[in-house]
Amino acid sequence: MRQLFFIVRKEIVIAFREKLIVSLGVILLLLLGLALYAGYISYVQQRQTITHTQQEKRQEWLNQGDKHPHIAAHYGTFVFKPKTILSLFDFGLDSYTGTSVYLEAHFQHEFMFRPAQDHSSMIRFGELSSALVLQVLAPLLIIFLAFASFTRERESGTLKLLLSQGISLRTLVSGKVIAYSLMLGLIVWPFVVGILIISAAGIQQATIPDIALRVALLALIYGVYLLLFIAFSVWVSLHSSTGRNALLVLLTCWIFFVILMPKTLANLSESFYTLPSMREFKAQIQKDKLKGLDGKTPRSVRIVNLEKEYLEKYGVDSVQQLPFNFEGVRMQEGEEYGNKIYDHHVEKLHKIFHKQNRLSSIASLFNPYLAVQHLSMALSGTDMHTFLHFEEKVEGYRREMVRKMNKDMAENSRYGEFYGYKAGNDLWQKIENFTYQTPATLDLLPQYRMEIVSLLLWGALVLVLFNSSNRKIKPTNG
Amino acid sequence: MDKKIKILIRYEWKAFIRNKFQLFLLAVTFTFGLYAIYYGQSEIDAQRETINAITQLEQEEFSLYKTSFREERETLGQEQTHDIASRPAYAWYRHGYHAILPPHDYASLAIGQRDLFRYYYRLTGMSLYYQLFENELANPVNLMAGNFDLSFVLVYLFPLLIIAFCYGLFSSEKENGTLSLLQIQAVSIRKIILVRWAFYLIMITGLALLLSLIGQLTSGSPVKNENMAPAIAWILAVVVYCIFWFGLMFLIVSLRKSSSFNAITAAGSWLLLLIVIPAVLNVIVTVKYPLSSATLAGLTRRTGLENEDNKEESRKVIAEFIAHEPTLKGSERLMENNMLPKAYAAFTSLKDIHSREEVNHYNAQVAKRNAWTSRFHWLSPAVNMQEVLARIAKTDLNIFLHFQEALADFHRDITDFYFTRLFWDKPILLEDYSRLPAFKMPAVKGRWTTIYLGLSKIGFAAIVAFVLGFIKMKGGNK
Repeated sequence: MRQLFFIVRKEIVIAFREKLIVSLGVILLLLLGLALYAGYISYVQQRQTITHTQQEKRQEWLNQGDKHPHIAAHYGTFVFKPKTILSLFDFGLDSYTGTSVYLEAHFQHEFMFRPAQDHSSMIRFGELSSALVLQVLAPLLIIFLAFASFTRERESGTLKLLLSQGISLRTLVSGKVIAYSLMLGLIVWPFVVGILIISAAGIQQATIPDIALRVALLALIYGVYLLLFIAFSVWVSLHSSTGRNALLVLLTCWIFFVILMPKTLANLSESFYTLPSMREFKAQIQKDKLKGLDGKTPRSVRIVNLEKEYLEKYGVDSVQQLPFNFEGVRMQEGEEYGNKIYDHHVEKLHKIFHKQNRLSSIASLFNPYLAVQHLSMALSGTDMHTFLHFEEKVEGYRREMVRKMNKDMAENSRYGEFYGYKAGNDLWQKIENFTYQTPATLDLLPQYRMEIVSLLLWGALVLVLFNSSNRKIKPTNG
Repeated sequence: MDKKIKILIRYEWKAFIRNKFQLFLLAVTFTFGLYAIYYGQSEIDAQRETINAITQLEQEEFSLYKTSFREERETLGQEQTHDIASRPAYAWYRHGYHAILPPHDYASLAIGQRDLFRYYYRLTGMSLYYQLFENELANPVNLMAGNFDLSFVLVYLFPLLIIAFCYGLFSSEKENGTLSLLQIQAVSIRKIILVRWAFYLIMITGLALLLSLIGQLTSGSPVKNENMAPAIAWILAVVVYCIFWFGLMFLIVSLRKSSSFNAITAAGSWLLLLIVIPAVLNVIVTVKYPLSSATLAGLTRRTGLENEDNKEESRKVIAEFIAHEPTLKGSERLMENNMLPKAYAAFTSLKDIHSREEVNHYNAQVAKRNAWTSRFHWLSPAVNMQEVLARIAKTDLNIFLHFQEALADFHRDITDFYFTRLFWDKPILLEDYSRLPAFKMPAVKGRWTTIYLGLSKIGFAAIVAFVLGFIKMKGGNK
């Protein structure tokens, strides 16, 4: 135990003597601080605008005056994608998903405005977020810190001395891993405290209910990830003849994992599973609406069928005799048929998204960076699943709104008088304000099975590597 | 050539072809380059296909209108088509024109923002802003990952290759014990290092040029008139950028530190220039110029006249519009014929007039951001290089901002064409179809100035780094 303590202390002292390492550590710390600060500011800015505009649109809806319900359904309203408090930690897809959508009868509009469109092409280099610092930059610091951990001892002959004094290689390895973990912890702890404070301050946020669990899991996966890198770097150093080789191997791995692989996978997925263009997508929906999903029942036939069905059901000869406005029923029926068509096509679209993203999910088994990237976005509520979940809720809200308008029209207006009937504020009030809550963490995580398995596997792999290599190490050069 | 230099080169060549690892690195980079070219071309080809499809759709639409003038009108459908073709009251919001931003031949080499922005729009005479903000379908995960195109290989991977080849130029002699042998030769160490440096400079720049040439020849002949200047600029950019990284490496090597130190410093510089600086700038610009598209969302709302039966309201709207567009006043029966279509046309145009300021303000903010970031391009030659390549391939943000402006002008042409007929109570004649509005993308002013200014900044940085290294190298041997 005392030996372990000495080793840890010695490593830390050595590291603090290296100006390069210390300055890199300071830079990392500064970047983390800047990332957190900027993330917070932009979170507050965005949140304010979104809340404000959302309220404004709500008032517009409520105060739209007396009008026919169907015209109100076309007047519609807007929904804006809320920022989760954890998005200040990991921006995730927030810059690339649309931010607002217009809700009206008959049409499903797609989300508009991707924030990345408001930037120059430099945005493609990435934005500084705490997640970027921890996922991309911290591993590099670890590499610089640990690549020489054994090669230096070996090159200067101290490894032989150490081992001859009866220190086991295992103690030596653990000592070094502990030392580097402590140093990294030293850099990261102010940041962890910072994020805890900010999250605690925003803990009542309705959008993302289980913040405490999410923050804890975030801390856990980043802890595992960084520990993996430390252990891996030490292991490579243990097996390299010179520091130069160890460094080269580690840097190559880093570039491959962090830079090359994610981009290549995304591009391959794009080549394997192509998305339709918006024009095609819309044209198909339009075609199905015109000719029917089976291609054989055009709109006119559908209306005649519906009429017949209702006349038979109520035992009357004409739609005028129905106890409600058939026009409202017909509209709702058209709406529902349209929804069915939309669901059919959007499901196909989501399947393509899913297939595309599954590629990098599977690849995360081989690349812990991908695993952490995906999990971190998921826990911050800035991932694809949360976005699709949000989209689904918004569409549900739109349907509810249109349904209520059509129902009111069917109940309160008469057939043929069309726009004569006017509803007012009472009806508008019946549409509740839109609120959104992200899926619970425990519901979300099963989507990320691969990523969790990946981290576990890598953890196991590192343990196995250390256990099997302890005996084979030669203390001398070459 | 000096005999000694010849010997040096010969030995370097021998060392080079014997080093399997280095050859492997070159081969890998070359393969990645070929893949990048292929990927870029497939992306842009898909865009070309979409463009062809929509152009054909437009032609079909208009040929339908034209034939309706010539043929006998028997069915109701034919009658309707002819109404849409000849009556401005229908035509103004039915006739759709595509404004297309066709890809430059070299867009496949630097996709830039082309995957993020829309490159085609279908415009009718209806409110411009109602038609402007819909996005193309895209997987946000892949948008975030970015494109693996040739510009990525050149900007990200070539510097790594250069680092891998150069970091040991001096230190490896020292570490292998050959330094003292070299020092007793008649040739100065600086000269030896310089020759070896130049050897790799030519080799790797040659590889980059080879890839660029392959890319250019397969994407569109460089001797074609419109490709000549971009092709030359691209080649020049590649050379300057490679020289910059070689210059930087020369500076690092001239410090005469260990290989590990060089590798860490070089990797650190790479990280700084390619990840840290752009990421920090991006987040600063987001905070400094906060922009929320939420304010624009409202413009996409589909609104109409309060009450279509109210003649007074229609009259008022038309009168207000005429006050803005006095030339449309022409007809004596302005307020009698086609009241409702006129009122609607007036209504949507007024809406545009009222929202123009808001949209212009927003676009100005985006341009401001763009201007702010480009002021800091000198901080990172990598960012600069990417911007230069995107500008050469016409895929940068600026092009899309101009496209938006051109869209507004085009929309103006469309409304002029239809409104002069609608408000002057004139039908659309067959011969009018030879004078239909057509989209023109005006040339972007100052494009080449920006490109060469950017290049000269990279060149300047290259010279500074090299000269510093050259001076440093001279100071005797430690």
